[in-house]
Amino acid sequence: MSLIGILMAGVFHAAALFLLTSGLQLVFGVQRIVNLACGSLYALGAYVGISFTTWALAQGLPVPMFPLALLAAGLVVGLIGLPLERLISTIYKRPESFQLLLTFSLILVFQDVLRFFWGANPQQLANVAMHYGSVSLWGAQMPAYNVFVILLAIATAVGLGWFLGRTTLGKMLRATAENREASAAMGVNVRMVYLLVFTLGTTLSTVGGAMVVPTAAVSLQIGVDLVVEAFAVIVIGGLGSMKGAAAGALIVGLIRAAALVLYPEVEVLATYVIVLAVLVFKPSGLFGKAAV
Amino acid sequence: MSDNLNLPRRKALKKIGAGMALGASGLLSAPAFAQNKPLKIGVIAPRGGIAGTAGEGGIRAMEWSVAKLNAMNGIGGRKIELVIQEETSPKETIDRYRKLVLQDRVDAVHGVISSGVSLALAPAAEQSQMLTLLWDGTTQDGVKEMMPNPKYVFRAIDNEVDAVMSSLLAIRHFKGSMVRVAGINADYTYGRNTWTTFTAILKKFGIAHEVVTEQWVKVGTMDLTSNVATLKTAKPDVIFTSMLFADLPVFMRQAHNVGLTENCKFVMPAAGWQQTAMKKEFTPEGVVFGHSTMYFDNPAASPLQKEFVRWYADKYKDYPHWESDRAYFCLQLYKAGVERALAAKSGSWPSSIEIAMAMPGLKVESLGGPASMRADHIANQLIFQGLTTHKNAYDFPTLASVETMSTEQIQKPAGADFWQWLESTKFKV
Repeated sequence: MSLIGILMAGVFHAAALFLLTSGLQLVFGVQRIVNLACGSLYALGAYVGISFTTWALAQGLPVPMFPLALLAAGLVVGLIGLPLERLISTIYKRPESFQLLLTFSLILVFQDVLRFFWGANPQQLANVAMHYGSVSLWGAQMPAYNVFVILLAIATAVGLGWFLGRTTLGKMLRATAENREASAAMGVNVRMVYLLVFTLGTTLSTVGGAMVVPTAAVSLQIGVDLVVEAFAVIVIGGLGSMKGAAAGALIVGLIRAAALVLYPEVEVLATYVIVLAVLVFKPSGLFGKAAV
Repeated sequence: MSDNLNLPRRKALKKIGAGMALGASGLLSAPAFAQNKPLKIGVIAPRGGIAGTAGEGGIRAMEWSVAKLNAMNGIGGRKIELVIQEETSPKETIDRYRKLVLQDRVDAVHGVISSGVSLALAPAAEQSQMLTLLWDGTTQDGVKEMMPNPKYVFRAIDNEVDAVMSSLLAIRHFKGSMVRVAGINADYTYGRNTWTTFTAILKKFGIAHEVVTEQWVKVGTMDLTSNVATLKTAKPDVIFTSMLFADLPVFMRQAHNVGLTENCKFVMPAAGWQQTAMKKEFTPEGVVFGHSTMYFDNPAASPLQKEFVRWYADKYKDYPHWESDRAYFCLQLYKAGVERALAAKSGSWPSSIEIAMAMPGLKVESLGGPASMRADHIANQLIFQGLTTHKNAYDFPTLASVETMSTEQIQKPAGADFWQWLESTKFKV
C-alpha cells in the first residue's frame, strides 16, 4: 500500500460524507432549511440497516444479496421524511433560528429513540462486507464493498444531477428553489415539492447510513459527530450546492487522509483551517451563491 | 396517699412513653438504630455508549456480590441496598454524585470508569467526606493536583500498569522483529500515557526501533479507514494500541479487511473490555492481549472466579471482564474496612472516616485473586495478559498461556512520580 491506498481511503471517506451531505444540500437548496438532524437520519438508516439485514440473513437471504437488504432498509426508513416535513412545515415562515432549534431538538429526540430501540451500546453488522473480498490497485488493498460505496456515491451524484437538470420534476424543484411565489403562480404545487424534497433528502441520508455501516459501526453519538463534519463539507463546498457537496466531501476526505500520513496531530485542525480560509476568502463556499 | 402514689406512676409512664418515642425517632440508641437501616451504596457507572460494556460488567458484579452478602446478613449486620446512577460527563456525574450524597443519603459511593470523571469527582468526595471507591478511571495525570492526600477517596490500580506489562511482554515475545513500530491510540491522557510508556520501555531495554507513525483518534470513532490506510502504508512490524472501547473491534475489523493483520504483530494492553467483540475472523493469534485484573478463562482461577463466571455466562450469555473484578474488589474492601472499624468500636457503627482509616493495608480475595489497598489509597492487584490463540470453543480469541504479574512489580510506589519511576526501575522481562 502506498499513496494510492491513502487516496483510496480518503475518497472512501469522501463518499460517505457525500452520501450524508447530499440530502442536507438538496433540502437547503430548495427549502432553505438547515437540517441539523441529517446525522441522526444517517444513524437511523444505519441502525435499521443492521437490524433488517441481520434478520434477513437469518431468514435465509444469501449473503451476496446483503446490500439489497441494506438499500431496502434505507429506502423504507427514509419515508420518515414525510411526517418530519409536516412537523418542520410549522416553522417555514418563522425566523431561521426556529429551524435550528427544531432540527437540533430532533437530534436529541432521535438519540433517545435509538437508545430506546437499540440500547446504548454501539452496533455493527457481521463482517459481511468482506464477502466480496478485496480489490488491489497498484499494491493498495481495499475491501471491494468500500469500492462499491464509492461507486454508489458517484452514481448518486450523477443521478441527482440528471434528476435536477433533465427531468420536469427536477426543473420544478429548481424553479421552486429560485422563486417560490413565481413557481406557485405558474402552477407548481409548492407544498408537494417541499414534501417530496424533504423526503428525498431524508432518504439520501438514511440510505447513506445503511450502505456505509457494514464498513464500520454506529453509535448514538454518531448523529452529533457527523453533523459537525457535514457542516465542514458544506461550508467548503457552498450551502445548497450539490457540486459543492461533492467537492467539499472530497476535500475533507483527502485532507484528513493526507494529514494522517504527514502529521497526524493536525488531522482535525487541517480540515478546519480550510473551513476558516473559505469563510474568510469565499464565504459562500466554492460552489455556493453569494448572498445578495 | 394513693393519689400521691399514682402521680409519680403517671409521670413514670409518661417518661417511658417519651423514651419509647425518642427511641423510635432515633434520638436514643443511635448505633443500634443505624445497624437496622439498610446500608446504601451509591454506584456510578456508564450504562451505555462506548463505555457501556465496562459499566455493565461492574454493575452486574455488584449485584451478584450484594445478593451473596445479603444472604449472609449484609455488611456489619446491615443489608445492602444499591442506588445506581449513570456516569456521563464530569459535570453531570458530579450532579448525580451530589444527589446520592444529599438526597439518597448513601453510606458510600462505588464506581466510575473515566479518569476525567474521577478527577473531577475526587475533590467533591473529599469535601463531602463521602467514602468513595473508584473502580477505574485512574490515569496518572492530574492525580497529584486533584487528590494530593485523599482521606475518603480510594483508587483502583494505576491505568498505566497494563501498558507496562504488555510492553514487557512485547519485548519478551517480539524482540528482534520489532524494528518498525506504530501506534494508534485514543487522543486523550490515557492513550498518550500508554503509548509513551510503551516507547519509553522499548528505549529502556535498548530495543532499536523506529516509530513509523503515531495515530491519534477521537474516542469512539466508528470509521478508522483512513487511519488504517496510513498504518498499512507505514509497514509496521508492531502496532501498539490501547484503544479499549467499542472502537477497538471496529479498528481490528477494518485492519483485517485491508490485510494489515497478516504480517504485523499487535500489542493491546487493555483489549479485555472488548474480549467477546474481538472475533477470531479479524483478531489474529499471537496478539499481546491484556485482561487487566481478571481473565475469565484463566485455568488457574479461584473457585470464586469460576463460580462468578458461570453465573455471568448463564445469566447474560456473555463473559465478564476486569470491571467486574474491580467492582467486586471495592465491595469486599469496603466490607473488610467496615468490619475492622466495627471491631475497633466494639460493635457500634463507625463513621466514614473511621472506615476510611481502617481500609489501608487490608487484604481481600477478589475475583481475579488476592488484592490489597496501599497506604496511599491505591490498590495492589494481579494483572493477566498473554498471547492470543484461536484454539478454543469461543468465536473470539483467548490466551494461549496466561502471564500474571503483580502490581507490586509494575506499579509506581506510593509518592513516586510515574515517569521518573519508569525510568529508574529495573523490570524483569
